[in-house]
Amino acid sequence: MPVQQKAKIYQEEWERRLHDVQVSKEDLNQLVMDYLVIEGYKTAAEEFSKEAGMESPVDFDSIENRMNIREALQRGDVGEAITRVNDLNPEILDTNPSLYFHLQQQKLIEYIRQGKIAEALQFAQEELAPRGEESPEFLSELERTMALLAFESSPMMPASVSELLSPAQRMKTAAEVNAAILESFSQGKEAKLVSLLRLLCWGEAMLEERADLPKGKQEDNNQMIAREKLTGA
Amino acid sequence: MRDMLYTEPAPSTLTPVARPTVYAVSSHDSRSSVSPAPPSIPYPYFRRELSPVGDSDDESVATPPPPQSAIDAVTVLSTNTMLMLPTRWSEQDRMPSLSVSLDGRELTFTGPSCMGDRESSAARANHPIPPACGIYYYEVEILHKCPKGPISIGFSAPDVRLSRLPGWERNSWGYHADDGWAFPGHKEGSVYGPTFDTGDVIGCGIDFSQNRVFYTKNGSFLGMVFENVGKNTEVYPCIGMRQTNESIRANFGSAPFKFAIEEHVRARRDAVWNDIMTTRVDWGLMGLGPRKTEKLESEESKNAGKPEITEDEDSKAPLRKLVLEYLAHHGYARTARAFQKQCAERSKTVSGGEPVQTKVEPVDDDAAMAVDADDTRMAEGPSSGGPGNYESEHGLDRDLNTRLSITNAIIRGDIDTAMSLIREHHPSVLEREQGLILFRLRCRKFVELVLEAGEALRKVKDLERQAAVNPTESAITPESQDGVGEVIVGEMDGVGAMDVDDPSLEAHNVSSAVSSTVHTTVGTVSSGSPPVRPMRSQDTHAALAAAAKAALHTALSYGQTLEADYKSDLRPGVRAHLRRTFGVVAYDDPIATGGEVGETAGQGARDALAAEVNQAILESQGRPAHPALETLYRQTSACVTRLGLLGVGAAAFADVRKEFLEG
Repeated sequence: MPVQQKAKIYQEEWERRLHDVQVSKEDLNQLVMDYLVIEGYKTAAEEFSKEAGMESPVDFDSIENRMNIREALQRGDVGEAITRVNDLNPEILDTNPSLYFHLQQQKLIEYIRQGKIAEALQFAQEELAPRGEESPEFLSELERTMALLAFESSPMMPASVSELLSPAQRMKTAAEVNAAILESFSQGKEAKLVSLLRLLCWGEAMLEERADLPKGKQEDNNQMIAREKLTGA
Repeated sequence: MRDMLYTEPAPSTLTPVARPTVYAVSSHDSRSSVSPAPPSIPYPYFRRELSPVGDSDDESVATPPPPQSAIDAVTVLSTNTMLMLPTRWSEQDRMPSLSVSLDGRELTFTGPSCMGDRESSAARANHPIPPACGIYYYEVEILHKCPKGPISIGFSAPDVRLSRLPGWERNSWGYHADDGWAFPGHKEGSVYGPTFDTGDVIGCGIDFSQNRVFYTKNGSFLGMVFENVGKNTEVYPCIGMRQTNESIRANFGSAPFKFAIEEHVRARRDAVWNDIMTTRVDWGLMGLGPRKTEKLESEESKNAGKPEITEDEDSKAPLRKLVLEYLAHHGYARTARAFQKQCAERSKTVSGGEPVQTKVEPVDDDAAMAVDADDTRMAEGPSSGGPGNYESEHGLDRDLNTRLSITNAIIRGDIDTAMSLIREHHPSVLEREQGLILFRLRCRKFVELVLEAGEALRKVKDLERQAAVNPTESAITPESQDGVGEVIVGEMDGVGAMDVDDPSLEAHNVSSAVSSTVHTTVGTVSSGSPPVRPMRSQDTHAALAAAAKAALHTALSYGQTLEADYKSDLRPGVRAHLRRTFGVVAYDDPIATGGEVGETAGQGARDALAAEVNQAILESQGRPAHPALETLYRQTSACVTRLGLLGVGAAAFADVRKEFLEG
């Protein structure tokens, strides 16, 4: 088991392995459909199910629900998002304290953004402070958020605080909610396509540690596969 | 990895769930190319192993049925790799004082008891454990143990002396019955588990994803132990004993295990998988986006523990590109457009939303890029640096539309339209592969003509049949109820016997240009509507008969031209295809005939040709023949397989197909 010295992987072997991988257009269509659904591209998913002649994996309306929630969060309407999540399935928030906390935190951020300082303080005291005692993560998040009030658009505001006001923070919360909803439907919370790429990155890193790969392998693969298909029989 | 698993054709199976992580013995073929046989084992020994798989199977009654059929194994032969699992104690690789039972599972100490530490008797199993199996597990029942007997259960490398208990020598590992200690390859052992005695069942597993070992006692897990097991050497199941009459019986998976190994494997798989899934996608490495290592690192430190969410935004743009390119590649035009539109809308809501107090990070530059798709390297994906970007959204659209018109024409059998579009927009495609695409198209054209001729002839026959059943009614079309429905049956018979060699038709020296005009005439006939016109039935019949005759002539002369044009092309692929193509003529309804003829004539062949042409067009534009998405999938799968063969146990837990396509 010569693990210590690097193995050499020859071009031919690598090409053959790539070629031998069993995958059809239908398989890949499934991957793409999964991506469209998980990422919430409803119309695209609908069109795709027609064009590619595929059964829809889910009710397309459920995608729309999910996207409405996401959009509500992205425009800062946290209350609307929470109502909609509860309409969809109250258990999602009941069983996920961390998610609920992050939504409340987002709500606090939105109050501060709108300059509703009194509301922000009241909300923080009534809703968030008690949760802060539940876990150290909640507490430090609460502190970070409250720091927004201390700096109040001062240029001295550290990036770690100001980023709470960025669209990225909204996206992050929206993504977390999206994942939780998907999970509640027992769907993957991440598109399989993303998982595939993670696995590839992991695999290539592992492989590079252990073996020398042929250079420029990918170009050649493509050409080779194409050639074989064209030449046919 | 699962693709490579060999299922033992018969009995001695492994546990059903642990099975996917385990390679089994096949009844023939050589040893794995990656785990060469230990030099100490001579070839004849090996042959014996390959004799009928009945070994170790006296308990076949209790054997769970193999969950995978042998068919699975067949699909996999192309990997050329055969990994063997231990299935019994070795006849050779043991101290003579240990005797092996006929079924290979029992070991009995038959010599005089050993006295000093130097003297023990050990035996190894018949094969090393391939790390690609992920987790390997076997159980040992202590049939008889002497009060002082330090029976040792574990693993050892092939070159470890058999006169020592496993665990005492370098590259061996063992758990000892008398004191419950675990020995990691030298005499400095450590407290590990309970002692064990006659009647106990000790399980012994190796986890190649961690290179650690675990034991179980009577079905209870005792914990992980040892480090770096099997990292630099092959390992075999190994047992050592020291006292006369001691004996053990091993279960290498042919019978159910005491311990719930399936659950253990599943839990490990989940853990390994979750670990792999924390890998950050390096989009630069994928060729799908700029390398952002610095930024990623700083972000990671800020948001440690939630990679999936921070990564979300980084991953959006490249993923969109990847998907969009895939859709465009295969010509899913409406989907691609809807997708683009939605992407654009989303970028707007995010970046153009309400005013935000602080500086906005340019979250969406990438997303915008993906949408108008022009600077992107997406067209070539990770694969090449060649040209072939989609020039602009409109460029993409136009390009896609043309390609789609071509493939759709082929799919509905309208080869002339397809050819003229190709000539107009992608003339170089016809010359590709020394005219192979043109050849394929022309063959298809011929098949279409034959099909049309058959169709036309069937119409004539249908009319005749109708007339025969009910001479008056059949002749009356909806608008000609007053019509005289006299049908001269005799005349019809003549049509059936139509002389195909009749040279009277002009369709004789058809060039492809001429044939296309003929084609349109035939088209109207075969479209089925004309007979509704108020027309005397004789006229109808005569017209149909003439059309059928013309169609057949057209087809045959086209075929003759085809044959003449490619007479000198001796490429085997061309010859074979030509032969198959002409075979179609022999059947009056080739599609209904089924088999190879049906395949050559049917819709499947049109679709396949359309895909080929699609690919050829893309290639002629310097684009990859395969969407980047497909290439990435292939790479992932090949990569994982190769890792398994290199002994990376974790790879065994990443079943690409199951995870991404079937799951």
